[in-house]
Amino acid sequence: MTETSQKTRTHGGFSRRALLAGAGTLAATAAIGVAGFPHIARAQAKTLKVGVYGGYFKESFEKHIFPEFSKATGITVEPVAEPTGEAWLVQLEQAARARQAPADVSMMSQVAMLKGMAAELWAPFDLSKIPNASKVLPHLINKYPDGKVSGIGAVSWYITLVTNTKAYPEPPTSWAALWDPANKEKLGLLALVSNSFLLEVTAATFFGGTKHLDTEQGQLDAFKKLSELKNNVKLWYRDEAQFEAALKSGEIPMGQYYHDVTGLAAADGNPVRSTFPKEGGILDSGSWAVTRASKAGDLAHVFVDYMCQPQIQALLSRKVGTAPTIDRKLTDLTDKEFAAVSSDIPPIIPRYDLYQTKSDWLNQKWTEMIVG
Amino acid sequence: MIRRAPRTFAEHSPILFPALMLVVFFVIPFSLMIAVSVFRRVPGGFYEPDFVFSNYERFLTTFFGGVMSFSLGLAGLVAAVAVGIAFPFTYRLVRLPRPNQIRWLVFLLSILSLSEVIIGFAWSTLLSRTAGITNLFVALGLMAEPQSLSPSFGALLAGLVYQAFPYTVLVLYPALARFDPYLVEAARTLGASPLRAFFTVVVPALRNTIVATTIMVFVFALGSYLLPQLLGRPQHWTLSVLITDQAIYQSNMPFAAAMAVFLVLVSLALVGLALLAGRREEVA
Amino acid sequence: MSALVLDGLTKRYGSTVAVHGASLRIPHGQFVCLLGPSGCGKTTLLRMIAGLEEPSGGRLLIDDRDITDTPAHTREFGMVFQSLALFPHLTAGENIAYPLRIRGVSRADQRRRAEELLELVRLPGVADRPVSKLSGGQRQRVAIARALALSPKLFLLDEPLSALDAKLREAMQIELKQLQRRLGITTIVVTHDQREAMTMADLVVVMSQGRIHQAASPMEVYRQPADAFVADFIGLTNLLDGQVVQPGTVQVPGGALSLPNLPPSGRVLLSIRPEEVIVHPTSGDGSNGSLNRLPGTLSFMRDLGSSVEFRIDVAGKEIIALSRPQDRPPVEPGGALSVELPPGSCVVLPPMVAS
Repeated sequence: MTETSQKTRTHGGFSRRALLAGAGTLAATAAIGVAGFPHIARAQAKTLKVGVYGGYFKESFEKHIFPEFSKATGITVEPVAEPTGEAWLVQLEQAARARQAPADVSMMSQVAMLKGMAAELWAPFDLSKIPNASKVLPHLINKYPDGKVSGIGAVSWYITLVTNTKAYPEPPTSWAALWDPANKEKLGLLALVSNSFLLEVTAATFFGGTKHLDTEQGQLDAFKKLSELKNNVKLWYRDEAQFEAALKSGEIPMGQYYHDVTGLAAADGNPVRSTFPKEGGILDSGSWAVTRASKAGDLAHVFVDYMCQPQIQALLSRKVGTAPTIDRKLTDLTDKEFAAVSSDIPPIIPRYDLYQTKSDWLNQKWTEMIVG
Repeated sequence: MIRRAPRTFAEHSPILFPALMLVVFFVIPFSLMIAVSVFRRVPGGFYEPDFVFSNYERFLTTFFGGVMSFSLGLAGLVAAVAVGIAFPFTYRLVRLPRPNQIRWLVFLLSILSLSEVIIGFAWSTLLSRTAGITNLFVALGLMAEPQSLSPSFGALLAGLVYQAFPYTVLVLYPALARFDPYLVEAARTLGASPLRAFFTVVVPALRNTIVATTIMVFVFALGSYLLPQLLGRPQHWTLSVLITDQAIYQSNMPFAAAMAVFLVLVSLALVGLALLAGRREEVA
Repeated sequence: MSALVLDGLTKRYGSTVAVHGASLRIPHGQFVCLLGPSGCGKTTLLRMIAGLEEPSGGRLLIDDRDITDTPAHTREFGMVFQSLALFPHLTAGENIAYPLRIRGVSRADQRRRAEELLELVRLPGVADRPVSKLSGGQRQRVAIARALALSPKLFLLDEPLSALDAKLREAMQIELKQLQRRLGITTIVVTHDQREAMTMADLVVVMSQGRIHQAASPMEVYRQPADAFVADFIGLTNLLDGQVVQPGTVQVPGGALSLPNLPPSGRVLLSIRPEEVIVHPTSGDGSNGSLNRLPGTLSFMRDLGSSVEFRIDVAGKEIIALSRPQDRPPVEPGGALSVELPPGSCVVLPPMVAS
């Protein structure tokens, strides 16, 4: 995910969301303020540097989350905009060697989490100081090999099968629709192996699950199967806005895209829909992680605990469009609100480990597959 | 005016600033790039200082060879088409009355202000089935039903030429404005039709300008990495696209740097060859 | 039969008229100079003949064939431009062979003809030199050779010698004239230099403000100018306003003159060349025996070597006289004298129209 998901949230979704943002803010934040945090000492006024993807995420958090967090805990947040790609990880690492922390707690992509873990960059979390962490879905907790927790789910979002409703009166039900010869020259798919997660989709759809990707043979199987849908692809996109426009106009009537952004486009009256195929949507996520150079570990724990609360997760779903990182039953999200950001169908979870260990090989195979 | 060679520091000072700028903005970055290109990639991580050629080895495959030749071929074609259109255009432009010339130049400059993204979007819309130019053809009865013309090689070529065109005109403009119009009249009195005069006098007399402009547009097109993504299919992705992928998405700086160094060297070699060919022709 | 006929050729640029109904008949083999001050329309007229400007009106005929609408490249005229317009990318020989190349003549024949023409303009052995390596005079010859390469019916030159220094220019004028005689080619040269026109032309066409004032031989233009402009433009002359007071007598500043060819009445303009004016040391009082003498005072005198120039104040009007040094009259500046205007030397012109 990294780059692309950030871009979506700056390019693809920002303007509409900015419009929506104002209305509900007052009411929602008031409720949280009252709930409060009995177990947190409010006495000392301290500062916590929080790294968030620059652009849409940072602006949303500054608007909806940080002020209320400060009000509730007395901790002042100093937001830090993370640069694109893995540059932030590089910066954190280099700073850590000099015992510096450009941010105490950062929102990290899953591949960056793994790379940071390999370098033991992340300070382990003490879950006893984060009671709300127990609510977080197990697959959104990152752990070191020895079981220590390196990251806790911050936000997650779905990439689903999207269609133009004029071109497809009936929604597709399976990712297999991407391979249907009837859909020749009709697909828009993400251009990179590490942001499209199509290997996982292929494995889940045709090979019984992403476990099939454990072996190189399994990966080659997936590549072979994937190469069969090449003729159906009109656009391999890097720029989300380009695909979004083409989807709305019907120029490219089918493809993979962000569930929440598609929902917002449909709500605006565009003839588009997002479908969770029976194999599941692709669930991508970002985790909170604390650099080992941070001297504000305690405050970071307070912050992460605050973020894992059901009210905050519901607020994020309503305001930022992310899927809750906790069981939906703990939240007060209505069915409609939940459906706007997530689904009960079990998700396809990307094999981030592959993108850490075999990134160059997968990338080379992928590029040769789609370019060749 | 100092006629003797400059001796003191103060006398050398006028060239210090440009020399400094050249070092800061070209020599240092390019040296860094060469250095990084022989660093060792740490899989799943970053890179470490080293002296290995594995990044170049990885590049020397038929796959990258194919991408490289496509990139060079595309850049060459863009240069040829852009100069082929811009040269006659500019030739007419410099003969317009001054106010009309200024209007055209302002228009061209305004195209220059467009970002590559906007150009890409505009062309993909213009060439789309749903809102594109083929709808106009259908309305005019020239086509049976609207067609999608993008992404395709033609769309990519059109976008790149469109983007390069204003640069090409602005580079050609001074030379063509200085061109002696009497040469064409002389050719005409000597029996050459206007078209013949254009090709036997104007084009050869301005050959050096044309070669220099073609090289500039070639290099310009070679660096393009957004339009191939927006208007081309994967087989039309240039080496610059793959370099971007490696640098930004794969965090493989050594490999990206190796490809970039190779691209720079090949372009320099081609430019050198073009200049050499030009000089030889002049001597012959 | 005339080689070239200009029939009311007119060129307008918007509201300004560059050439005003020029009509002219040019016989075969003539050397014609279009002469006039800058902006008089002579170059525009030449360009219309060459086909480089489209006439706004009138016709152009060559050997009775109307070529008004024939494009320049099919007229088969040779032209030398003021800037010479040699092709910088070609050698001297290639420049000369260019029209042959356009016509698909074989390379060997091109080469042979180019060397022949270089021979003709007395510049052998430079065929392989780039034009940038030639001197001004050499370029001049290459341009002439190129224009003659196709043995054109008409040879046009626009201020061809203006870029050369004075000495070389004189030599080239003579050479050009000799070349034209040898080839017998009808030639039209535009120039603003009346000496040049006098040296080369069989027919001088004097132009001003888009109009042809006179087209005649150099002698006639000099001796018998058609109007005040021609008289004034060609060489130095004295112009006197006069009023015919009785048949054969005209009143001018300082006295009355008896002249033949006078109109019966009205105003006239008299033109007399300085070398025709005779200076007498004694003060003429207009008495008998001193025919056509006017009294005056010498205001300025200078010795020009080959002649002596006098500037004489006659009733407020300055008259210039030239005499040979050996005929120099004994007068001193400030002294009284009289000038004699012989009747045969005075050209009677229509009065100047205030323009």
